[in-house]
Amino acid sequence: MHLYISNFSLTQFRKAEPFEIKYRLRLSMKQFLWIAGFILLVLAGDRLGGYLLRQVIEGSEFRYSRLYTGRAEADLLLLGNSRGLAFYQPYIEEKTQLATLNLSYNGLPINLAAGLVRDYYDHYPAPEKIVIDVSLCDRFDDQLIMNFSPYLPYSQRIDSLIRLADPQIRGGLGLSHLFRYNSEIFQRALYYQNRSDEGWVVERNLSEKESRSVAEDYEFIIYYPEEAPEILADLVRYCQQQGSEVQLVLGPYFPAFLAKMSNLETYISTIEQATGLPVHNFSNTVDDFHLFADFQHLNKAGSKVFIDSLFQMGVLSSRTEQALE
Amino acid sequence: MVFNSLPFLIFLMLFLPLYFALKGKSRLWWCLAASYFFYGWWDWRFLGLIIFSTLIDFTIGAKMAIETEEDQRKKLLWLSVAINLGVLAFFKYFNFFADSLQEAVSVFGWQLSWNTMHIILPVGISFYTFQSMSYTIDIYRRDLEPEPSFLRFATYISFFPQLVAGPIVRAKTFLPQLRRDHAFNWDNLYLGLAQMLWGFFKKVAIADTLALFVDQSFGSPHHYGSLHLFIGVFFYAVQIYCDFSGYSDIAIGLARTMGYRFPVNFRTPYFSQDFSEFWTRWHITLSSWLRDYLYISLGGNRKGYWKTLRNLMITMLLGGLWHGAGWTFVFWGFLHGLYLILQRMLSPAWQKLHARLRTPKVLYGGLNILIVFSLTCLAWIFFRSTSFDRALIILERMASLEGFSWSNVINKFAVLQGGFLIGILLLVEVSSFQLDYRRRIIYQPVFRAFSFGALLWLIALFGTFGANAFIYFQF
Repeated sequence: MHLYISNFSLTQFRKAEPFEIKYRLRLSMKQFLWIAGFILLVLAGDRLGGYLLRQVIEGSEFRYSRLYTGRAEADLLLLGNSRGLAFYQPYIEEKTQLATLNLSYNGLPINLAAGLVRDYYDHYPAPEKIVIDVSLCDRFDDQLIMNFSPYLPYSQRIDSLIRLADPQIRGGLGLSHLFRYNSEIFQRALYYQNRSDEGWVVERNLSEKESRSVAEDYEFIIYYPEEAPEILADLVRYCQQQGSEVQLVLGPYFPAFLAKMSNLETYISTIEQATGLPVHNFSNTVDDFHLFADFQHLNKAGSKVFIDSLFQMGVLSSRTEQALE
Repeated sequence: MVFNSLPFLIFLMLFLPLYFALKGKSRLWWCLAASYFFYGWWDWRFLGLIIFSTLIDFTIGAKMAIETEEDQRKKLLWLSVAINLGVLAFFKYFNFFADSLQEAVSVFGWQLSWNTMHIILPVGISFYTFQSMSYTIDIYRRDLEPEPSFLRFATYISFFPQLVAGPIVRAKTFLPQLRRDHAFNWDNLYLGLAQMLWGFFKKVAIADTLALFVDQSFGSPHHYGSLHLFIGVFFYAVQIYCDFSGYSDIAIGLARTMGYRFPVNFRTPYFSQDFSEFWTRWHITLSSWLRDYLYISLGGNRKGYWKTLRNLMITMLLGGLWHGAGWTFVFWGFLHGLYLILQRMLSPAWQKLHARLRTPKVLYGGLNILIVFSLTCLAWIFFRSTSFDRALIILERMASLEGFSWSNVINKFAVLQGGFLIGILLLVEVSSFQLDYRRRIIYQPVFRAFSFGALLWLIALFGTFGANAFIYFQF
């Protein structure tokens, strides 16, 4: 085989003058030094960038940043997917006089939620109560799990979930520290750098026209992974063992949309059977379209109405009421 | 095998060292084997189709060159065109034409019924068919001598960097390059790597990130307010540019590392001031192919005003159909044909108006860019939508201005991230008008290290990883 590389050509070397060989060797050496320097630069930049972004994560007021940096102790824990954002924290705190922490997130799957709650129990004393919106059993979402990579250094559970979701991505996260911050969660942490996330709620108003357009949506079926109710049941047992009271709820849906949900009853009974707890069903308790952000989410005003219902049904109670009890 | 995947990275690391170690025929064999492997990774059964096309055009090209009778030469050309377009029509358009015929006759109350075949569209068929056709047409026009080596011709047709999504490299550009052995060269490596990294950034960080928002917007437009849809359409314009030009950059850069020069395929098209200019800056290798082999063959602008307009419309309609077997693509081509026609009709008056108003040059240029970009976005709505109904819903909701507020935009973080990435794209592309990046990459090692590093860091921070296919693979 003939080695045919301009700076190294063996044939050319044989023919070349010594000074030419020296020149070519020097040129090649320079290029190899550049490559070595470049690799070092990339690694150093990656680690430095990773370190700086970690400071951002640790300084953020975002719920999970507070969770993993010892700033999230609460008497009342709230959990759900985007529908769990209707647990509007400032209003609940005002009414209960309890310190609360809402761990809900858009599309939060139950396996990740279970990991977050267990991480909470690892770092803090058990809360008095945990309220869970059970619609978070409706999916597993590997993509969202990988989005939690900024918290990889703080949680063995998140690490395991990411490894399980995509071992290749987990390998990449080890190789590049910057890659850990390639996530929507990091962007939110950045957004909440100097502001509280406690008032986070879906801020939109369903218009009258949109509310009529529900007719365009087909039948809505909740497809849930088979293991999801069991994971929730495990979590419920774990919380109870730690001494917390667990309340399961299902928040409101827009009535015309609710009518298109064909298997809601089956879904609720599956959850109840798995957990052994009743699900407080609030799915049809709000009907004014002004109170919705879209068909599945309440806006701020709707959240307050929902929270009032939670008090009426005894799911939540104020510190004074608790003392009287 | 897609460029943005781990198997391709491994493939490349195995391919390149041996490529440079070999020379002459053995290098061509290596390239051909690697190219067939690259293509066969997707579906090995369709390798037969490439080999068939290669054999046909190689044989016809050789026959045409020795044929002196003009009639016979013409027959051979038509044979080549018919076979190439026949294969393309069968694999890409059979179901489309069959369904359209059924729908058309049903208007008259007639029923045609046959079972639609499940024909899989072979990846890249539109690209290599056009590439192969250019060879026989150029020989017919006596612009090119036939290639005596089948091995070289087969390598030209199947060369993996541009096999599946272009650029469409013509035989007279590439075959002479395959006749020479290209030695390893550091400058080529650096320039090639720079272009590949920039292409990866455009694809993985920009196009794939915007795709999430775009897919939502076009997937269920009735769920979103008008501002959300305006952003979705704007993002799609950027997404398709970054996706396709990103692929071209990777292909051109890859060829450059191997010592080959491919033609430029995109030159900041959204800065075009009119539609003729747009088509000299967008997918240049396709538009110049259509110009040289279709528009000019139809008579171009040599047969009077009205026939010029007709030729423009036919060229753009067929250009639309080339992109996909669907009426939305044809309509996209129609809109661009219409834009070109209207431009021819109205631009003298438009220019006079500005001359009379003495509009500053910058403002005039900016206004033209804005008009061309907005109309291009309008056409993209049809290109991206899965049906006319869907496109019309989007247009209707956008025009109503209902929900035209920031609070009605879902996933604001995606919008902010998209905006930031588009800002980087603009910064680099606009600064490249003034700064000679290529020169800096070759002669300034520190600039080279930091620019390569910055691209890698940006890809790590913003890339979407999951080997998303390139949009143009479907064409």
